Amino acid sequence: MLRAAALGLVAALVAFPLAVLPSPPVTWVAGAALALAGAGVLGRLVPLVTAGASLALIAHALALVIARPAVDAVAAAAFGATLVLLLALVHFAARVRGAEVGPSVVAAQVRRWLAVVAAGVVAAGVLAAGGAVLGPALGGATLPVVVVAAGLGALIAAAGLVALVTRRPG
Amino acid sequence: MSWRPTALNVSFLTLAGWALFLGVLTGRADLVVVAVPLVVALVVGRRAAAPPALRIDQEASADRVFEAERVTVSLRLRADAPVPLVELLQPLPPRVRLERGCNHVFLALRAGEEVRWEFTLRCEGRQRLRLGGPHVRQWGPLGLTAAETRHRAPQAVAVYPHLAPLRHPPRPVRTQTFVGNHVSPAQGEGIEPGDIRPFAPGDHVRHVNWRATLRLGTLHVTQHHRERNADVVLLLDTLSEVGPPGATVVDVAVRGAAALAAAYLARKDRVGLIEYGGQLRWVRPGSGRAQLQRLLDTLLDASVVFTYVTRDVDLIPPRILPPQALVVALSPLLDPRFVRAATDLAARGFDLVVIAVSPVGPARAAVPRGAVADVAARLWALERRVQLDEFRRRGLTVVDWDGAGPLDVALAALRRRRRHRVLA
Repeated sequence: MLRAAALGLVAALVAFPLAVLPSPPVTWVAGAALALAGAGVLGRLVPLVTAGASLALIAHALALVIARPAVDAVAAAAFGATLVLLLALVHFAARVRGAEVGPSVVAAQVRRWLAVVAAGVVAAGVLAAGGAVLGPALGGATLPVVVVAAGLGALIAAAGLVALVTRRPG
Repeated sequence: MSWRPTALNVSFLTLAGWALFLGVLTGRADLVVVAVPLVVALVVGRRAAAPPALRIDQEASADRVFEAERVTVSLRLRADAPVPLVELLQPLPPRVRLERGCNHVFLALRAGEEVRWEFTLRCEGRQRLRLGGPHVRQWGPLGLTAAETRHRAPQAVAVYPHLAPLRHPPRPVRTQTFVGNHVSPAQGEGIEPGDIRPFAPGDHVRHVNWRATLRLGTLHVTQHHRERNADVVLLLDTLSEVGPPGATVVDVAVRGAAALAAAYLARKDRVGLIEYGGQLRWVRPGSGRAQLQRLLDTLLDASVVFTYVTRDVDLIPPRILPPQALVVALSPLLDPRFVRAATDLAARGFDLVVIAVSPVGPARAAVPRGAVADVAARLWALERRVQLDEFRRRGLTVVDWDGAGPLDVALAALRRRRRHRVLA
């Protein structure tokens, strides 16, 4: 059941770029992503699923670059949420392989995942709204200032993320 | 116990990095938004609070079992705080098979909830089974962090060798002075009729043989044989072994020794044990259930300890090896030191029976199948037959036992040969 759900998420992941632009180059990359992530799901291999998801992301970027549609924050947040759910699901399926799973475990896990995903979607919405508000204000700023500020912010965010992930809680 | 990041963080970071990189590269805000749920998951996935404490009680259904019997292991888990996901893994020791349930489980506990987890193990071979307690791993949200520990609950289960019923163990030639089940040639009180002799003052009237009295004209009485016990010493060869773990010739010999010990003790005999190997260990002859327990405990630890030293049977004190004892040696006859010791015992006048445990079968099970291995096994079996004939020519009583069939069947031929050899 877990693998079927993960395969469904892989299909949804691949459908995002194809929905934007069902052209041959996007289809090829999306097909490769489907094969790789599908194999990862069937073999319960998280690295393979990560590789497939990365390809799906590349296909999505390719489709956005070629088609140049308007920014769709909802679709983007849904794409990110699908990635989160897929990784969590495959990782869980790999862990419980050959083990006895208690009656309420799967339901509890799904609830926790959905809570985290909901928080992520809300954060994405806040970010998109903030961007929409700040965009016109930054319109007059010179490009080097924007680039330096963005670069600094990205650097601090990355450093904070790494520190957060690698820190050993007391 | 503290939270540690798992390898899943790398996957999340990889995808978030890809999304941000592609977003910057293509100048599309959509791709930056894609990264946000991944980053939020990474942040939320980190657990700041310490993992909740778990109370685990482990117990086994028995601390003494025989081979092929089952042990049910029960664990009770209780958590004061909610535990969203806990993984428990009880590693299985060698020669133990999972019969029912699962030794790996995922559970979720509410605050104050108690969960019971049970599985049944089947013990395949003799051993001192040590259940050290389960490995415990608590998982954070999304599996991005985990906290691991080992719950220490040392618990030992003694798995004794299987006691196959033996109806006809080798009869001892000499008996002892205590009451037992063996018919002694000595005359006295008993139920087995012996000779007839003229009546003498002091004889009981109930012993008068009326048929002989009428025929001979004078009073005659029937004498009876005494029922006596015997001293039996099991001599176990642990100098060498072949075969896969759990099914070596020593394991087979130990099973045979256990079956013989139980059979003789049931006949009120005194049974002792000598482990003739790298370390010379023994159990003084005795009788009763406590003696069977002592013998089984000693047999449980019987193993090959490599040594070049030759142990002389002179080292064994007479109280361990009484002169009138029946010595039953169980050996694959692979080590010449044991063959010399057995020959020495027979030359000293001990009533010796050698149960030659065939090493061909166990050795065959330890090597891959093939035509060459089949031919080698057959040649070895022929060589072994010649070797046993040579021992018989030297005057040793040898019983060939392949270890796969019942020992009782192998001992049947010996029973026919020794039926009328009781001396005193």
